[in-house]
Amino acid sequence: MPETIQRDSLIGKRITKLDAPEKAGGKTRYIQDLDVQGQLYGKILRSARVHARIKSIDTAAAKALPGVHAVITAADVPYQRPIGVAKDHFPLKTDRVRSLRDEIAAVAAETEAIAEAALKLIKVEYEDLPVLADPNDSLKPDAPLIHPEPHGATAKHDHLKQAQGIAYRGKPDNIAMTFDYAQGDVAAGERESDVVFEDTFHLHYVTHCCMGVSGIIAEFDPSGNLLMYSNTQVPFLHKREFAEILNMDPARIRIIQPPIGGGFGSKLDIYPFEPITVFLAKATGRPVKLVFTREEEFLASPTRQPVILTLRSGCRKDGTLTFRTVSTLHDNGAYTSWGATTPFVMMQTISSLYRVPHCLYHTKAVYTNNPYAGSFRGYGNLQATFAVEQHMDMMAAAIGMDPLAFRLKNAQDSGEVTPQGMHFKSCGFKECLSTAAEASGFLAKFKANEADKAKPGRFKRGVGMASMLHVGGGAKIYPSDGCGTILKMDDFGSVTLITGASEIGQGSETVLAQLVCEELGVPLSAVRVINNDTEITPWDVGVHASRTTFIAGNSAIGAAKKARGKILDAAAKMAGLDAADLDLRAGHIVEAKNGTVVMTLAKLLRQLHFSDKAELVVTSFYYEPPSKHQDKHFKGDVSAAYAWATQVVEVEVDTDTGIVRLLKVTGAHDVGRILNRLGLEGQIEGGIVMGQGYALTEELMVENGVVRNPGFRDYKLVTAPEIPEMDVRFIETMDGEGPQGAKGVGEAPAICIAAATANAIHNATGVRIMALPFTPEKVYRALKAKDQHH
Amino acid sequence: MTALDNYVAPTSLEQAVVQLQELGEVTILAGGTDLMPQSHAGRVKFKRTLMNIRRIPELRGIVREGDAIRIGALTTISEMMAHPLVREHLPLLVSAGDHFASDQIRNAGTVGGNICNASPAGDTLVPLMVLDASVELASKPDDTLFRRSMPLPEFFVGPGKTRLAPAELLTAVRVPIPPKGFVARFHKFGTRPALDISAISIGVAGVLKDGKFSQVRVAFGAVAPTPVCGCATQEALEGKRLDAATIAAAAKAAQDEVHPISDVRASAWYRKEMIHNMTKRILEDVSANH
Ligand SMILES: Cc1cc2nc3c(=O)[nH]c(=O)nc-3n(C[C@H](O)[C@H](O)[C@H](O)COP(=O)(O)OP(=O)(O)OC[C@H]3O[C@@H](n4cnc5c(N)ncnc54)[C@H](O)[C@@H]3O)c2cc1C
Repeated sequence: MPETIQRDSLIGKRITKLDAPEKAGGKTRYIQDLDVQGQLYGKILRSARVHARIKSIDTAAAKALPGVHAVITAADVPYQRPIGVAKDHFPLKTDRVRSLRDEIAAVAAETEAIAEAALKLIKVEYEDLPVLADPNDSLKPDAPLIHPEPHGATAKHDHLKQAQGIAYRGKPDNIAMTFDYAQGDVAAGERESDVVFEDTFHLHYVTHCCMGVSGIIAEFDPSGNLLMYSNTQVPFLHKREFAEILNMDPARIRIIQPPIGGGFGSKLDIYPFEPITVFLAKATGRPVKLVFTREEEFLASPTRQPVILTLRSGCRKDGTLTFRTVSTLHDNGAYTSWGATTPFVMMQTISSLYRVPHCLYHTKAVYTNNPYAGSFRGYGNLQATFAVEQHMDMMAAAIGMDPLAFRLKNAQDSGEVTPQGMHFKSCGFKECLSTAAEASGFLAKFKANEADKAKPGRFKRGVGMASMLHVGGGAKIYPSDGCGTILKMDDFGSVTLITGASEIGQGSETVLAQLVCEELGVPLSAVRVINNDTEITPWDVGVHASRTTFIAGNSAIGAAKKARGKILDAAAKMAGLDAADLDLRAGHIVEAKNGTVVMTLAKLLRQLHFSDKAELVVTSFYYEPPSKHQDKHFKGDVSAAYAWATQVVEVEVDTDTGIVRLLKVTGAHDVGRILNRLGLEGQIEGGIVMGQGYALTEELMVENGVVRNPGFRDYKLVTAPEIPEMDVRFIETMDGEGPQGAKGVGEAPAICIAAATANAIHNATGVRIMALPFTPEKVYRALKAKDQHH
Repeated sequence: MTALDNYVAPTSLEQAVVQLQELGEVTILAGGTDLMPQSHAGRVKFKRTLMNIRRIPELRGIVREGDAIRIGALTTISEMMAHPLVREHLPLLVSAGDHFASDQIRNAGTVGGNICNASPAGDTLVPLMVLDASVELASKPDDTLFRRSMPLPEFFVGPGKTRLAPAELLTAVRVPIPPKGFVARFHKFGTRPALDISAISIGVAGVLKDGKFSQVRVAFGAVAPTPVCGCATQEALEGKRLDAATIAAAAKAAQDEVHPISDVRASAWYRKEMIHNMTKRILEDVSANH
């Protein structure tokens, strides 16, 4: 036993993720690798038409196929309830299909191959309906309705309508959702403006491309309890929602999450395949496993919200911003998921990234027969930032200011409360701007490129910047944003951290363990994290909104502090010292002032174990601190802390081909405080690459409701040689409420890249492109068009 | 799901061609990097017998035969790129390999498979065409082994379609050793540097002597149902000095003679533009470096 131990900390170190060895070693058991005794395989028959009435479904031949245990259609599950954010979506379609992904029937069979063969035997008769492929068409007065009020032949809806509050309701028009926000008086703002721009930006479809495709195993036990192995990001919310959909007691539903092969927001909603698998399990009395093919993953997963955004903004000659008016048209697709609610985040960027006195914001999400959008890392912020940050460059140029000075003049400071009501308790925005600009040599490059632009030459260099604001301390989307922790210590000085917060590859396990180590002075190897079983873990709202480190971290710290208090009290009593003079270091109890070892933690815990009052299990909850909630006009605070970032992108444009290469990305991120440097770098770098894909290569091509590239051959993810050099700097603003001062960062790095790239292309070529992605052909076309104007 | 009745893995050319003749309905498997994805996607249906040709020694190896180099059908893209004879005499094939798929695919995919798959975007086809290659085919319709050879351009009929007879095997591709003063370029144009299918590709070859370009061969990939000869472009270049006017005329001829389609990878307009710009770029590069 050492005689003295000095204080050591893991905070800010580069810590390998706890699950790295098993993932790198190929030993992780994803849902694909999981099999349950007696399981059957489920498959879904999807629509062959984009928009059609279902006239008849004949399943007789499929049912007769040997090895088939069940073939179900909507008629077999009259109890099914609509799912989704607007409850406009039956898992199995009743009278009509509204998009190509639509689920018509499902099969459970002995093998996947038999299930597949059975699907081919199902005969469906359709009567085509007119297709709405463009959201503008959906708004026309004579547009066909995508969700007409069900009536006549579909009387079965009436009993659904009455069923306990959740009912499918038709819509009198094709408007799925609207958002309106106003602050100040934009007309007055416009009168004060010396410069006004108005442009329309087109944001495209992309999809998450999780390496692990979607899947689920559902199983009922003989008492009727439902167990689901599910990849959800929100197990506790889903437990309740599944109960509603299935008309079950929530207490009878248990969700176990196997390791999840990527989420990025895609697993925030319930999708038809999940209740359908439950229906199959119910119909067969057997566990049923359903895993998507990659093609299905492309066709039937949610997308990022496509947006047509018109932005009008102005400023004065001295560089003061005056107003912003925004109207967006969201292509909602055939059903409503989280994509429709992205305006909630978009308006934050529009009203509060910079100081803008007057703002008007309006969104319509309209139904079409296209794929529907869900939540996706950044949640509308990539789209809003793309428009706002291009206009910032355009206005700066118009008044003869450089892009950096113009932004610095309008950037938020800490302490500010914006007209929308966001309170920036810690804010490193200006530091992000100047750090990213300095580290990249932004201004000198910007000016040099401007000068070189008109010179002949095939390759043009450009530099562009963009900044972002995003929630970093939870998000008050639900009435409560909390997380519970149970912390258990064993006789050997090991800690089991039982948290409600799910690990979806982001590395939260590791950060939570670190935070516990910090309080309890145990090595990382002494901590186990349990986080994937609703029967064991305490409640958590789910993995979204960059909230886990902040909310679950604070919750874990709370539990660890409680345990620390107990341990030190007991040790003090035993050693005849004052608890305030003791500390926990490297698995020992030591004297705080000089590190003299008093005893090992394990020994103390064993002694506690045999005392009558000792509890080796503590619990705690963390709710984000009380703050003003947004009212129905969207005024008020949404998060306990906000993350800030500036990214500078350097590009080379090949004017012969339109190919844009990202040479370098310099990022400065206000992260509050660095907890795990390695994990943080991983998040930022991965986010940059995701942003790069959004900006340059990725596009889910949807034509008349048909996805034309449902595979990695033609849906182009960024590959290794395209990844730019990265220089990422961290700004530590030590947020007062954050765990050890940290703020959320999960979404931040993906947000600015497209906007910064747009500005860089302009700097390189003088061409401004307001539609994504910047494919070679699109850029080349724009360059040609510019040449022809000269 | 495909029901296979039969799997064979002949260990000699003789055995293979006999089996091809006798079994009739046979799908040939080499590296499988085209066949397997196509079968999974339902675009290709396996015939009754699957024949694995990877155990046939006669289909392997790269050798010099007189003034030609013979590349066995089973040569993988990686083997082709690493071989000293190829590196010395046919560096064009090395540069084509450089932009071919990824290491994993290059280690499995074969030259014979690339040719027999007959994709207009197949990345060895255009270089082999400008190198004046021909394919060697073998079959055994009766008691004697029948071999024939065919210039590459004649071999291709359409996407996935060749003049390979039902019971025939492609055994090798034969490439004449280029003459002195020979220069050649291959440019694969895709939208990303790795793992991409050509949106267009261009091969240019010829002999540069006393500043003049002769015996010119030009071919284009991914602009027609098969890789095609750039005959008008060849004509615009034959016997000329590679000066700005010639290069401009050749690039224009190239743009005018191709008739590509629009698909998810590129529009017809953009393909024509790129044929023009890349042809120009290749020729400027040749002219600047020789
Ligand atoms: C991820 C990925 C990336 C790719 N990238 C590229 C690329 O960049 N460029 C490119 O050109 N291709 C690319 N390909 C396609 C493929 O890898 C190549 O065409 C490869 O050369 C095919 O060779 P193989 O041996 O795998 O052929 P196989 O798949 O085994 O066979 C292909 C076809 O040829 C027939 N065949 C094969 N050998 C013979 C023979 N000796 N005689 C008669 N018939 C025969 C088969 O029956 C089959 O119809 C890619 C494929 C994948 C999966």
